[in-house]
Amino acid sequence: MVEEKFDVIVVGGGPAGLSAAFVAVKAGLSVIVLERGDYSGAKNVFGGIFFTNVLSEMMPDFFKDAPLERNVTKRRWSLLTSDGEISGEYKFNKFNKEPFNNSFTVLRAKFDKWFSEKVEQAGAMLITGAVVDDFIFDNGKIKGVKVRMDDGEIYGDVVILADGVNSLLAKKIGLHKELQKEDTIVSVKEILSLSKEKIEERFGLNGNEGVAFEYFGYAVKGAIGSGFIYTNKDTISVGVGVTIKSLLEHKINPNDALEAFKNHPVILPLIRGTEQKEYSAHLIPDGGYNKISKLYTDNIMVVGDAAGFVNASLFHEGTNLAVMSGKLAGETAIEAKNKGDFSAKILSLYEEKLKNSFVLKDLKQFRKLGKTLEKNPQIFNKYPIILEEFVSGLFTVDGEPKWQKEKRLFFELMKKESIFGFIKTAINLRRVIL
Amino acid sequence: MNKFKSMEDKLGLNKFKPSHETHLKIRKEVNGKKVDEKNLVENVLFVCPAKVYTYDENKKEVIVSFENCLECGTCRVAAPDEVEWQYPTGGFGVTFRFG
Ligand SMILES: Cc1cc2nc3c(=O)[nH]c(=O)nc-3n(C[C@H](O)[C@H](O)[C@H](O)COP(=O)(O)OP(=O)(O)OC[C@H]3O[C@@H](n4cnc5c(N)ncnc54)[C@H](O)[C@@H]3O)c2cc1C
Ligand code: SF4
Repeated sequence: MVEEKFDVIVVGGGPAGLSAAFVAVKAGLSVIVLERGDYSGAKNVFGGIFFTNVLSEMMPDFFKDAPLERNVTKRRWSLLTSDGEISGEYKFNKFNKEPFNNSFTVLRAKFDKWFSEKVEQAGAMLITGAVVDDFIFDNGKIKGVKVRMDDGEIYGDVVILADGVNSLLAKKIGLHKELQKEDTIVSVKEILSLSKEKIEERFGLNGNEGVAFEYFGYAVKGAIGSGFIYTNKDTISVGVGVTIKSLLEHKINPNDALEAFKNHPVILPLIRGTEQKEYSAHLIPDGGYNKISKLYTDNIMVVGDAAGFVNASLFHEGTNLAVMSGKLAGETAIEAKNKGDFSAKILSLYEEKLKNSFVLKDLKQFRKLGKTLEKNPQIFNKYPIILEEFVSGLFTVDGEPKWQKEKRLFFELMKKESIFGFIKTAINLRRVIL
Repeated sequence: MNKFKSMEDKLGLNKFKPSHETHLKIRKEVNGKKVDEKNLVENVLFVCPAKVYTYDENKKEVIVSFENCLECGTCRVAAPDEVEWQYPTGGFGVTFRFG
């Protein structure tokens, strides 16, 4: 296919791989990106908010021509009960000015494609429709990769695995084990079209402002999962994410979970009158710090979702960890090239850099989240119900004297869950969510 | 309320380019033991968000509608021993226009 040998082979043209390629090619290295989709983004799905704090360091003016949907100025976290919600939200007008809080809704089919064009313009070679199936070994050392096409052998000094959550290649080379059902979330999502004016009116927005709403509690029929709504220019992204284990245990199909969420009385009015445009599904690695793969070996580095870099706490971040890890792998490749040594000894620098960055620091902070939620299923089934009774009871206008109502509700609450139960759960959650 | 509720209808919204060859297979045997296909579909592979796997009572085997696959990987993680999973060859499968 291509005769020459490259300094860097990047497998996967998502945010992590494209960032690695961009940094390496800018420093003068020869770089090839192999992407299985017809274009970058053709196979990619997310919520969501693209966090651009690292991207903006690499490309300071990106927001002038990137296909951004809306600037996220309003975020809401909501605990759904069976027929209502208790929520907290912020909205800051300053987030509608440069640098827009580095938070934009995007559609990946457009955004990743744009990013890949930037990487090509910088001088990297991008081959699309290229599925990488295996490595090329010579005397036990990795010399390149095999693409599923005629003459698909590509040679290079270092292979950056940016092949996303399923990373069959990192598994093949023994860098990470199979994903486990309890720490893998499957998310299904629909794109719903609605006019720009209606979106602005319905969500209380001006111009390019956008919202990100996350729903917990009784979002997916009491299973361990959450729902989301994000506004794009003239579409809305709506979806749910549930651990595979929880779906199996509750015998719920992801589409049924999505339908339940869309039909929730809180959600229904937000999506009324929309027209469905696309239905998609994607996995999220939710194992956190404890499940991160081995990050490098001779001639290999693993970046982004392939390494398990997603922070699924209240912040819901993956894109910025992908971009940062890609950038650091690109920088490491430059140093390896300068030394003429691509062995594990030199590539260990990549892990050092990650440890000093927010990627591993944040993941370490939230390392207990998944286990805590799994051990406290009451958060998803029992608590939403009793909290609803308490809060809706407290605000029901019925002439019952306030002191009597408060006392009654408090005793009713305590019958259902001891104060120690609440405090224990609250402490557990506080430790893992913020 | 949105028009399409069932998965079958929703899949019609997407752009697919089906290959003539499946990228998904169910192993007949795992560790020398015959796979109980009916049980596998009803209790595990029902989690596929595109209902790719159904059990044919007449033929007594799993039908794999690979052309509807959203390439998410859920079935791989749910049944790692039974599902033989690959990406479709370049140029085939689903192409998201929004993502
Ligand atoms: C539903 C959902 C909601 C999310 N919401 C948010 C959010 O709001 N904010 C946020 O920051 N993050 C969010 N994330 C996480 C975020 O999307 C990921 O962390 C991020 O996309 C990871 O980037 P990546 O480049 O590592 O992987 P990917 O984006 O998955 O890219 C991998 C690329 O590799 C290609 N590929 C795979 N295998 C091969 C192969 N063998 N050969 C060639 N090419 C291959 C794929 O086609 C793809 O282009 C969400 C994820 C999901 C699923
Ligand atoms: S990859 Fe996803 S969509 Fe495809 S068959 Fe498996 S579970 Fe279904």
